[in-house]
Amino acid sequence: MTADAPTAAAPAPATRRTGRVLVRAAPALALVVLALAGPLLAPHPIDTPVTFPYAGPGDGAALGGDQLGRDVLSRLLTGGAPLIATALAIAVVVTAAATALGILAALRPRLGRWIERAADLTILLPSVLAIMLIALAWPAGGRLAVAAAATLLGVPYAVRIVAAAAAPIAAAGYVEAAAAGGERLWHLMVREVLPNLRSTLLALFGLRFVEGVYIVSVAAFLQLGPQPPEADWALMIRENAAGITLNPWAVGAPCLAIGLLAISVNLAAEALAPARPTPETPL
Amino acid sequence: MTTLQPAGARAPHGLPARILPGAGRVARQAARRLVLLAVLLAGVFAAIELFPGDAAGATSDRGVTSADLAARRTALGLDRPVAERFWDWMTGLPTGDLGTTARGRHVTDVLAGPFPNTLLLGTLALALSTAGALALGSWATLRPGGRTDRAIDALSTAAYALPEFVVSVALLLVLSQWTGWLPAVTLTGPDGRPESWTMIVLPLLSLAIPQIGWNTRIVRGALADQAALPHVQAAILDGLPRRRVLSHHMLPGALPAVAVGIATSAGMLLGGTVVVETLFNYPGIGAILAGAITDRDTPLVAGVVAAAGAAISLLLLIADLVRTTALGDERR
Repeated sequence: MTADAPTAAAPAPATRRTGRVLVRAAPALALVVLALAGPLLAPHPIDTPVTFPYAGPGDGAALGGDQLGRDVLSRLLTGGAPLIATALAIAVVVTAAATALGILAALRPRLGRWIERAADLTILLPSVLAIMLIALAWPAGGRLAVAAAATLLGVPYAVRIVAAAAAPIAAAGYVEAAAAGGERLWHLMVREVLPNLRSTLLALFGLRFVEGVYIVSVAAFLQLGPQPPEADWALMIRENAAGITLNPWAVGAPCLAIGLLAISVNLAAEALAPARPTPETPL
Repeated sequence: MTTLQPAGARAPHGLPARILPGAGRVARQAARRLVLLAVLLAGVFAAIELFPGDAAGATSDRGVTSADLAARRTALGLDRPVAERFWDWMTGLPTGDLGTTARGRHVTDVLAGPFPNTLLLGTLALALSTAGALALGSWATLRPGGRTDRAIDALSTAAYALPEFVVSVALLLVLSQWTGWLPAVTLTGPDGRPESWTMIVLPLLSLAIPQIGWNTRIVRGALADQAALPHVQAAILDGLPRRRVLSHHMLPGALPAVAVGIATSAGMLLGGTVVVETLFNYPGIGAILAGAITDRDTPLVAGVVAAAGAAISLLLLIADLVRTTALGDERR
């Protein structure tokens, strides 16, 4: 009986944890769905004036007009999808590349040392400077150039995290047994190591998405990604900053949207991360 | 003679024998950081050079003849091979010569005015985020699992995800627009410095708040790791006051992790200043950098990257030093 007690109690915290993760991830999911469906809900076209410049809320424009008198609400509903899509693409590519390279680095230590050096190198280059450099080298790149810069900068650091998590697994008896049994490298990576990295990879994906939102929005704010007629939250803030006294909503609403997106995604990523191993003794 | 001297013989000259291996390690770390910096600069130089378009075209007026363009290219030295120009530039660095911009001025002269402003803003932000993170992290550690701990955890998680310009706009709306307490833009005085200290407050807070969030999480995590160690447990069981356990038993051990966190913050702060300076019209290197990008001005961009990279390398080296000292203490 006493031996059964722990095994019987074990599933309860696990389901509770899954439930908590879902609750914490809900705001982020809701916001992403709203932003992706936003263009369908927009009451006005995004590129024709419906009010006079920087008109306050009212008269069919719930959040007023921007610097050309275009409807702020419609532009707000349209401007999230490209930002989120680019950030998601960056997170997917970085996580996938880091997974492959990180597991490889754990199984082949010599490659691991080179990746360490690359990660040390990217720390010296602030991400904003890197985006500026790529935009300088590839002026026609637009969003693609920003995504390329974010991927290039993000991969070495992400590989370091995956390699650190994969190292103890790669050294585990069953992986060594499979290697000694003549299994191919590919089989070791996909069948032996990968299945044990699920929680690390989920948390990494969440954090890369947060980082993606940061880089893509900062680049747009510096006018390096999307170009003016386009509706984009960060670009809206930059364009309408001059009229902040006339219609605060033209700047405040996209600012609130980016803030809520960043915070909710970060809270979701936090919930996905493995919990702190030992509870603390109160001082 | 001197080369044959045993290592122990140097100890009486004031250098304790214990830290000698540590000193060697720090010298190796410094050399490694320098090599990494040189590799980064070479990469940056090559990246700008390998792509089409150059400074001669970007800084000339529209409609100049191709002969004029060629003459300008020769004047700027752009007809020489990339490797040669890079070598000239790198060998000039130790003497403080960062080269000449595409508009014919010395890079050091262009950066001399705005760089101290950015340095002031960055240093204040780094100091504020360090102090804030240590205070909040310690406060949370004194009540593990309590309401304060959870509130600080949630707030710091939220804060470090926010881009600096979002924080800027929020602060601008609240502290300038609605209450009128602080000026919304920085006015530059005749000496090239901000006219009043109140103009630094908003840019400073915008930079510091996300970094306080980031560093608070690092301080909190490092202190939680320390709390599990036997000597800390023993101090708690001995009934020492909890503030004393925190300051004398936990913080010293957490220092290496905190130092690395602050060093990585420096890079994020330097990137953030470019954005914040643009929004508040602050007279720093942000505006210079934006102009240099449009002009495809390689020496100017490389100069800014070199200055930023050198600052971050220095802070990482200090973090290395802190770690070496801490590990040395542990070995004793």
